[in-house]
Amino acid sequence: MPKSVSEEFVIRRSNLALIAALVIILAGSLTLVAASATQKTAAAKSAAVKPAQESAPQVSLAVISVDGVNDIDPTKAFGSKNAPVVMEVFSDFQCPACKQLFTQTTVRVTDNYVNSNKVFIVHRDFPLPMHAYSRVAASYSRAAAHIGRCEVVEQALFQNQEKWEVTGDVKGTVAAVLSPADMKKVQALVDSRVLEPLIEKDKQIGQMVPVNQTPTSIIHTKDGQSYPVVGFVSFDVLKTLLDQLTK
Amino acid sequence: MMESAPFNLRRVIIWLGRLVLGGILIYAGFAKMIRWDMHPRPPLGIARSLFALQIDSYQMLPPWASIQVATWLPWAEIALGLLLLIGWRLRIWSTLVTLIVGGFFLAVLRAYFLHLDINCGCFAKPEPLTIWTVLRDGALFLLALFMTIFVFRESRRPHPWSAPDKSGA
Repeated sequence: MPKSVSEEFVIRRSNLALIAALVIILAGSLTLVAASATQKTAAAKSAAVKPAQESAPQVSLAVISVDGVNDIDPTKAFGSKNAPVVMEVFSDFQCPACKQLFTQTTVRVTDNYVNSNKVFIVHRDFPLPMHAYSRVAASYSRAAAHIGRCEVVEQALFQNQEKWEVTGDVKGTVAAVLSPADMKKVQALVDSRVLEPLIEKDKQIGQMVPVNQTPTSIIHTKDGQSYPVVGFVSFDVLKTLLDQLTK
Repeated sequence: MMESAPFNLRRVIIWLGRLVLGGILIYAGFAKMIRWDMHPRPPLGIARSLFALQIDSYQMLPPWASIQVATWLPWAEIALGLLLLIGWRLRIWSTLVTLIVGGFFLAVLRAYFLHLDINCGCFAKPEPLTIWTVLRDGALFLLALFMTIFVFRESRRPHPWSAPDKSGA
């Protein structure tokens, strides 16, 4: 039915008013998003690592390759090398999602797949520059791994993350779960910085993947396929993938 | 007396919405199932699990729901995209598309505000969730919303080309 000029004018004006109102609402919400983005940039603090004071303890820096995954520090890898799946986990000890992944998912993957020789898991250090103490934590974790105490120290660092990220007392957190003799060995390795090249190597491998955020897990199969899994994921969902790849 | 032009702003937005959103939904659905970004392409079951992991990383749904959404969403996206392009029962399907795209926008906005370092998962490939993802999804939501509003408005008035001649000529 034809409309009069005034009716048509009113309809058009109401359309324009509706569009304008919705555009203003969206612009407002996007301004809020942009404002939060500027707050996101945190000041990075570099952790002061004590220089080597004494001669470096004797440790092996030998790395291994499993199913095309190279430069694996065997002290930070667990499971059978013949497992059908190799899972690399790039994490930062100070990242909350990494803590969540470790405590809720990685532990269950170890119990259900690594211990039954279905998955070979590789813990890669990827300390982010925005976290003040993650590099120090990686150094202590690596040192503990080289005296065979990787799991207990990783668990202590992740479970007490909220405490040491405030106080910076990474050493105290590690000392609480090691015997004085083990702690002395760990401290000597940390002070000597002899294991730093292994942490650097993990970072370089992560940058080549590329790892854009932590945690990032890369799941490798025997046929050469790689599946990236980014962020925290629950064990029950990861299980659906691992079950297909390991059957 | 003034006649409506066959191609006014409303109809242009409806057509734009149908073509853009229809095309994007079909592409997104296939991308999640076929995984063009991977060589060799994984089987459907593994592609579904990988998409379920991306949904799970948003930490909005329980694991069983993430798996169900990963199973059905790609098919729903393809079906809705085709229905938008065909134009049949446009009011129903455009409303549904708006709700789904609005859901995507809210999920992305929430993840951004919570500083979740995850991939978007929108087109299956590894795509970090950034402010640009939020802006893109916001723009698509606006397009879907305007399309739906205008589809409802257009349905209340006959198309000028099909309107019966009341002049008696």
